[in-house]
Amino acid sequence: MLQFSKFVAVRAALAILTLVLVSFIVFTLMELVPGDCAERYVAFKNSQGSVITPEDIQIERIRLGLDQPYVQRWGSWIVNAFQGEFGDSCILRVNIAQLLGQKFWLSLGLCLSALLVAYAIAIPVGILAATSKNATLNNSLRLVSYLGLALPNFLLALMIMLFSTVMFGDSLTGLFSKEFRDAAWSYDKFKDFLGHAWLPVFILGWSATAFAIQTVRALMSDEIGKLYVTAAEARGVSGRRLLMRYPARHALSPIINSLGFDLNRIFNELPVVALILTLTEAGSLLIEALARSNDQQLAGAIIFMLTASIVGINFVTDIILALTDPRVRRSIVG
Amino acid sequence: MTEAATTLSAKDQKLKEAYFTASQSQLIWQRFKKNKSALFGAWTLIFLIFSGIFAPFLTPYDATIAGRDKDYLNGAPQIPQFCDDSGCSIRPFIYTFERTRSIKTNFRWVTEVKTELEDRRYVTFFSKGQEFKFLGLNFERHLFGVDSGMIHIFGTDSTGKDIYSRTLTAINTSMAVGTIGVFIAFVMALIIGGVAGYYGGWIDSVLQMITDTVRTIPSIPLFMALAAFVPDVWSAEMRFFFISMVLGFIGWPTLARRIRTHLLTERNQEYVLAAQLCGATPKHIIRRHLLPSFTSYIIVDLVISFPYMVLSETALSFIGLGLKDPVNSLGVMLQNVTSADVLLNYQWYFIPVIFFIVLVLAFVFVGDGLRDAADPYSDSK
Repeated sequence: MLQFSKFVAVRAALAILTLVLVSFIVFTLMELVPGDCAERYVAFKNSQGSVITPEDIQIERIRLGLDQPYVQRWGSWIVNAFQGEFGDSCILRVNIAQLLGQKFWLSLGLCLSALLVAYAIAIPVGILAATSKNATLNNSLRLVSYLGLALPNFLLALMIMLFSTVMFGDSLTGLFSKEFRDAAWSYDKFKDFLGHAWLPVFILGWSATAFAIQTVRALMSDEIGKLYVTAAEARGVSGRRLLMRYPARHALSPIINSLGFDLNRIFNELPVVALILTLTEAGSLLIEALARSNDQQLAGAIIFMLTASIVGINFVTDIILALTDPRVRRSIVG
Repeated sequence: MTEAATTLSAKDQKLKEAYFTASQSQLIWQRFKKNKSALFGAWTLIFLIFSGIFAPFLTPYDATIAGRDKDYLNGAPQIPQFCDDSGCSIRPFIYTFERTRSIKTNFRWVTEVKTELEDRRYVTFFSKGQEFKFLGLNFERHLFGVDSGMIHIFGTDSTGKDIYSRTLTAINTSMAVGTIGVFIAFVMALIIGGVAGYYGGWIDSVLQMITDTVRTIPSIPLFMALAAFVPDVWSAEMRFFFISMVLGFIGWPTLARRIRTHLLTERNQEYVLAAQLCGATPKHIIRRHLLPSFTSYIIVDLVISFPYMVLSETALSFIGLGLKDPVNSLGVMLQNVTSADVLLNYQWYFIPVIFFIVLVLAFVFVGDGLRDAADPYSDSK
C-alpha cells in the first residue's frame, strides 16, 4: 500500500512537472506571435471608430500587467491556470473560464466517448483478427484500417454529409435541435443531444478505431506465439479462457499506456470535424478563437486545457496500469 | 540422378551466396518487389508525382485565375464523346456551352448547351495553348485541348477555373509542403534523438522529458493558434514556407524518440563491441556500423510520416488557416465543398478528394512495404 501511494505521488509530481513545461511552451509561443493583447484590443476599438493614441496602448498594457517581466507573468499565468482561471479574453473581454466552461466539457465528452467506442470495437475485433486464420477477414480488416488512415475524419464527415444530403435532404449537423439550444439541461435535451452526438462520435472514432485495431492485432499476434501461452495450453486451458487469461492480459498494458496519445490524435481531428458538422457548441469555438479573432489569451487557455486533459488521462492510465500490473507498481518511476 | 542433385545444390549454393553477399539495398529491393500491394503503391506514387511535375504540360490551362473560363462557371465535367444524335465522328468531341442572358431567360445568366453539328468542339492533342515555363524554357504545347473554346474534363469551380488543371498542380504543392516539413522534422529529430541516444544518462532523461511534453500538446490546435497570427499581408509563398516549417517543427518528437531508442539499443550490440575490440575508431563505428543499421529504419519512418504532413496541410488549408489562393493545394481545393449548395449541385468538386485518397494510400502502402522489407534478415529465407 505504501509502495502504491508512493507510486501515485511520483506520477502526480511528474504530471505536474509536464504541465508546467507545457504551460511554458504555450505561454512562450503566445508571446512570440506578433502583437500583444493590448495592441489587439486597442486596434479592435480603433476599428469600431474611436480614436486611439500610442499612450492609450501603453495605459492598456499597464492595466493588463503586460509591462511586467516575462518570467513573472508566466508565473502568475501558470498559478492561475492550475486553479482553472485564465483571465479575460483579449477581444471579447469575457472571463475565459466562463466562456469555455460547458463547451470544453462537451468537447472532452465527445472525444472520450469516441475513444471509448474505438476501443470497444477494436479490442474484440483485433483479438479476433489475431487469432483467426481466415484470409478474407484479415484482408478486409487491413483494408478498413488503411482507409482509416487515408480517409481522414474530415473527409469522412464530408462524405457522410454529401450522402445524407442527397439521400435524406438533411445534413445532420449541429449538436442540439433548435428548440434545445439555449434550454437548460433536462432529460429531453439530453435525449436530443444523444440523437445528434452519435455522428461526431462516430466520425471522431473512425480513424482511432482503425489505429486501435492494428495495435490490438499486432500485440495479440506477438503474445499468442509466446511460450507461456503454449505452456498454458499444455496444461489444458483452451478456447476463450486461454485467450482472455493469458495473452490478452499481457497485451492490455501497452494499450492502456497509449490511451493518452490516442486522445491527442482525436483532439487533432476535433476542430476540423466540428467545423464541418457546425458543432458551434464544441470544438469549433477553438477555430473561432484562433482564426477569427486571433485572441492569444483564449488560444493559450484552450491549448493548455486540451493538453492538461491528455496529461490527466496519462496519469489515470498510469494508475490503472499499476493496479493491474504488479511489475509496474514495483518500478516506481519507470 | 546424382548429377542432377549436384547441379541443384550448386544452384542452391549460388543462390545462397548471392543472398548472403547481397548489399542491404539489394536485399530490401528483393523483399520489396515480392510485396505486390507495396509495388503497386510505388507505381501509383511515381505516376502521381510525375503527373504533378509535368502538370503544366498535362493540363490544358493555367491553374490560377489566369486560366479561368468565364463562359463556364461551376460547370459539370465535360466528357469527350464519339457519337450523338447527329452522327458519329472519329475524333472525340464535346459540346459548346455559352452563357447567355436575354429576355427569354428573364435577364438571368444561364448556361446553354449547343448540340448542333457545327457547335462540336473537337479534342486535339499536342495543341497550342497558354504559354508556360518549364525548366526555364517556354512552351506552349499542351497534351490535349479543343479546337475552339475550352475543355474541362473535371468541370470548373465557381470562378471558372479548370478543376483538372488545379488538381494536378495541387499534387505538386502538397508534395512540396510534405517534403519541406519532413526534412525539417528529420533534421531536428536527428539532432535531438541523436544527442539523447549517443550521450544517454541525464542528458537523455532531460531531452526525453522535453520530447514527451511536446508530444502531449495536440499539434493541430497548436498549429491553428500559430497560423491564426500570420499577418494577412504575407504573400502566398511566404505562407507556404511558414506552414511547411511549422509542420516540421511540430512533427519531430515521434521520429526523435525512435532514433534515440534505436541508437541506445544498437550501441550495446555485440557487433559494435566487436568493432571496438578490433580497434575501430568511433567515427568508423558510427559510419560503417551504426548508420547502416538504421538508415533503412529512418527512411521508412520518413515515408510513413509523409502522409501525415500532407494530411495536416490539407486539414489546415481546408479550414482556411493554411494555404490560400492562388497557391493550389488539395486542402485549398476542398475549402468550398462544405456548403449545401456544393453538396447538392456541384459534386464534381469532390474529384480532387479521390486523388488525395489515392496519394495518401499509395504512401501508406509504400511505407508499409518498406518497413517489412527494411529488415532483410528478419525471416529465414
